[in-house]
Amino acid sequence: MAEQILTRLIRPNKVVLAEKNILPILWGGVLFFSALVMILGSDLKLLFEFPESLQVPIAGFLDWIMFGFVDLFKWFFRFISRVLEWPMRAVQGFLEWLPWLTFASLATFIAWQGGGGRTGILTLALLLYIVIVGYWYEGINTLSLVIICIPLAVLLGFSLGVWGHKSPKANVAIQTTLDFMQTIPAFAYLIPILLLFGFGPVVGLIASVIFATPPMVRNTILGLNRVPPEIRESGTMSGCTPRQRFWWVEVPTAFPQMLIGVNQTTMAALGMVIIAAIIGGFEDIGWEVLGRLRKAQFGQSILAGMVIVCLAIILDRITLSYAKRQLPTESHTGLRLKQFMIGFIGIAAISYILAIFIEPLRIWPKALEFYPADAMNTLVFNIIANFGDFLETSKNQMQYFVLLPVKLGFTRSIFPITWGFALTPTIIGIYWFIIFMGAAIALYFRHWQIAVAIPLIASILYFGITGISWVVYLAVLPLLAFSLGGSRVTLFVAGSLIFLMVSGIWVPALVSIYLCSVAVAICIVLGGLMGIWASTSERVSAIIRPINDTLQTLPQFVLLIPAVMFFRVGDFTALLAIIAYAIVPMIRYTEQGLRTVSPTAIEAGITSGCTPAQIFWQIKLKLALPQILVGINQTTLFGLNMLVIAALVGTTGLGQQIYLALSKVDAGGGIVAGLGMALIAMSADRMMRAYISRRSN
Amino acid sequence: MISRKISNLILSFLIAGGFLLSALQVSSEELGDVDAPIKLAINEWTGQHISTHIAGQLLEKLGYSVEYVNAGNYPQFQALADGDIHATMEGWTNNLGDIYPVKKAEGTIVDIGPLGLNAGEGWVYLKFMEDMCPGLPAWEAMNDCAENLVTPETLPMGRFLAYPADWGNRSEMIIAALGLNYKAVPGGTEGAMVAEIKAADAAQKPIFMMFWQPHYVFAEIGEVAWVDLPAYEEGCDTDPAWGMNPDATHDCGVFKPETMKIAWSGFQEKWPAAWDLLSSYQLDNSSQEAMMYEIDVEGADIVEVTGTWLEDNEDRWSSWVSSAMGS
Repeated sequence: MAEQILTRLIRPNKVVLAEKNILPILWGGVLFFSALVMILGSDLKLLFEFPESLQVPIAGFLDWIMFGFVDLFKWFFRFISRVLEWPMRAVQGFLEWLPWLTFASLATFIAWQGGGGRTGILTLALLLYIVIVGYWYEGINTLSLVIICIPLAVLLGFSLGVWGHKSPKANVAIQTTLDFMQTIPAFAYLIPILLLFGFGPVVGLIASVIFATPPMVRNTILGLNRVPPEIRESGTMSGCTPRQRFWWVEVPTAFPQMLIGVNQTTMAALGMVIIAAIIGGFEDIGWEVLGRLRKAQFGQSILAGMVIVCLAIILDRITLSYAKRQLPTESHTGLRLKQFMIGFIGIAAISYILAIFIEPLRIWPKALEFYPADAMNTLVFNIIANFGDFLETSKNQMQYFVLLPVKLGFTRSIFPITWGFALTPTIIGIYWFIIFMGAAIALYFRHWQIAVAIPLIASILYFGITGISWVVYLAVLPLLAFSLGGSRVTLFVAGSLIFLMVSGIWVPALVSIYLCSVAVAICIVLGGLMGIWASTSERVSAIIRPINDTLQTLPQFVLLIPAVMFFRVGDFTALLAIIAYAIVPMIRYTEQGLRTVSPTAIEAGITSGCTPAQIFWQIKLKLALPQILVGINQTTLFGLNMLVIAALVGTTGLGQQIYLALSKVDAGGGIVAGLGMALIAMSADRMMRAYISRRSN
Repeated sequence: MISRKISNLILSFLIAGGFLLSALQVSSEELGDVDAPIKLAINEWTGQHISTHIAGQLLEKLGYSVEYVNAGNYPQFQALADGDIHATMEGWTNNLGDIYPVKKAEGTIVDIGPLGLNAGEGWVYLKFMEDMCPGLPAWEAMNDCAENLVTPETLPMGRFLAYPADWGNRSEMIIAALGLNYKAVPGGTEGAMVAEIKAADAAQKPIFMMFWQPHYVFAEIGEVAWVDLPAYEEGCDTDPAWGMNPDATHDCGVFKPETMKIAWSGFQEKWPAAWDLLSSYQLDNSSQEAMMYEIDVEGADIVEVTGTWLEDNEDRWSSWVSSAMGS
């Protein structure tokens, strides 16, 4: 309701603003003001370090609330973790006791029932990898955590989703909470969880449930809201009570969407495996990966990490296949329930008997394991020994010409030894002269947005993201938000900025923003090109797809080890890690966008005599742009998500703040840093979404 | 993996059974609450896992049941104070974090006593660097070869790999106090630091970093040497007047850490015999390093390795067990 009133209030305003063309004037004013601040205030420390007197001890306040809450309600949360311990131990014990052959055959049968031969074979092959590589025991422990986590998260998500569907007021609150839950890095709320639930494997389970619930809530709300009113009415017409109508009409109609939610929940739970291991894992695969990483054993950590990838693919394909089976187009129907049960019991019995008599089918012997970790490590060391200098040089080039200018600006990064010349007044003069000419030309052709963008980007490179006054940020970013999306987004962005400054995390936040923006820019270019390439060739697409799947499910830490060995601890290594993870959505959405351009549009282009280049630029890219923009949005969010991981290789942004807080059990500090990250992510997301929705209107 | 675990389990049952017979003479009052499992903290490094597993197996010989709970080096003290975890075997006195002193002052956690490891900490480099930096291992030699360690991030200074930020910033202060031409870069994680020194060794590239021993990396890569810093004396890290730099603290090396066994405050009352056993429990460097090598480099199972060590060194621990039973 409030939202409607607000938009009604804003809409007329916007029209007036657009008519009066006030935006270019505002931008002109802000640019002039920023230039004044940067030139005249360059000696004023006050303008470059957010004054401490304006800072508020938010972290301390949060700590105070948190500890009070913990003291009051600890008994209740401890009770929950005690209750959850039983099913977890039971499942773990049962799966450890079960011969691998029995488990693998039953899982294959379930997969076949859902998705047919291909899904079945895939499941079997991936399970065999886990067996042969020797991680069955660890893998099964992880699986038992996921198996307990999923029903809890689904049940919780379903209930919250139904509540959100029934009450619009609750819906607003739920959606905002979900936004925060999905953007605050899980590390940030580990401390409150530890304080409330204690230590041990159950705590990892609880963290996973918290992280895995949001997709289920969202999909439940989406599914229920999308139930066509006709179906609902027909339920009422045939005399259903509201409760009957809900369970017999609405829930079944929304069921396919909810199954998508189950699928996403499963993937999120697996994504938490490593983080769960940090606080409470034991002898599971996350623990194994972590242990190997601490010893910098690349081969071992990637072999263990692949187990998580295998589990993720298996669970993904099985849950998706059952979701798809609800669609009328699906040809594979599987067995009827009764036949399925008979088959299930039969397979269980036969495989169990086999495993009793043939020991290797129960427990895979160590002698038959295939564990090529040493070979992989040798390979990495050979690369370092032979290409060390080349890697070092390419890293240094990247540092000198890209990373340092964006971080520190030309003023603090151009020296004779790095660029080959010094930044003399003449050169500075020429630089700004070119920039002003560029802006003037853009103005002459009436592209005022370009005329604004040129000096903005030029200033970022000149002063560096960390060298620009906070006053300038406070002026430019809200105006950017206003130009892209309107008042609501502006308020949100301004609020977020103020939070970052007032809570005292502005400096690390700038470092995070710098790292992320470089990574995202590279992802857009590289990922965009790869997406375009993949859209033109089936073969390329078929090669890229599994690589993308792996990059997204492989624990992100695993790639850090070779990256550190090649490029040492520092920003560059962190950048590579962020790119490896965040480039995936950019590739995917670009490819999908280009592939789904309607053939008739291309046909029309060809008949009207366009050259292939014109068809690509004028038709394909233009029609695919909305999808590509979504890809950019996702890439930005993924990149911000990786900041916590980046801190593991020595970056100094908000990620590091979270670790510092973790080491001090400083719940408030962790939450403030996490909240800071979430606000940056949500600001970027809202600005981009506003822009996308305005474009599509 | 599991089959070994099971055979191990049977083996340890047999051993435990034998001891149980003798333990029957001990009244349960001295053992305390044997039905409640004693929870031992597992931290982030292999050496600690070894110390803990040996302690755990010894406690099992007395008839206790032991659970290993994964908890970080710093947060574990919160858990110890709350009684969620009952003891931790290898707290390094130079790296106990901010919670430990608070909880110790509160009286919710207590020291059992030192573990006896001869721990060391300081700055390391690779031996081949003595050609490019003549004068090493003396710290003064570092300044002359700083230019060999310049990187884009540290320009124009040399790069020094310090501990991860959450382990404190002592290296940075020492560099400043000694007037060294280096910039400290945070190491991120232990894994990243180990990866760096392994890679530097493979590529024969120079590196200076803060590190500690015992650590298995010394067994794995070429020769690692320690920089001779001005020896630590009490006060040099708090009193500016001390040492060569009259205006700064930390113009000295770091103090020699101890390894400490630490427990929940209610431990002694609940399990008196276990407390006695843990008080006498000692471990030496060479034993720990040998086991570390077997586990980390040769890939052996920790339960097996520690079990074998206990079998082979019965003379060391039999007196701890008997004195705990006699108490």
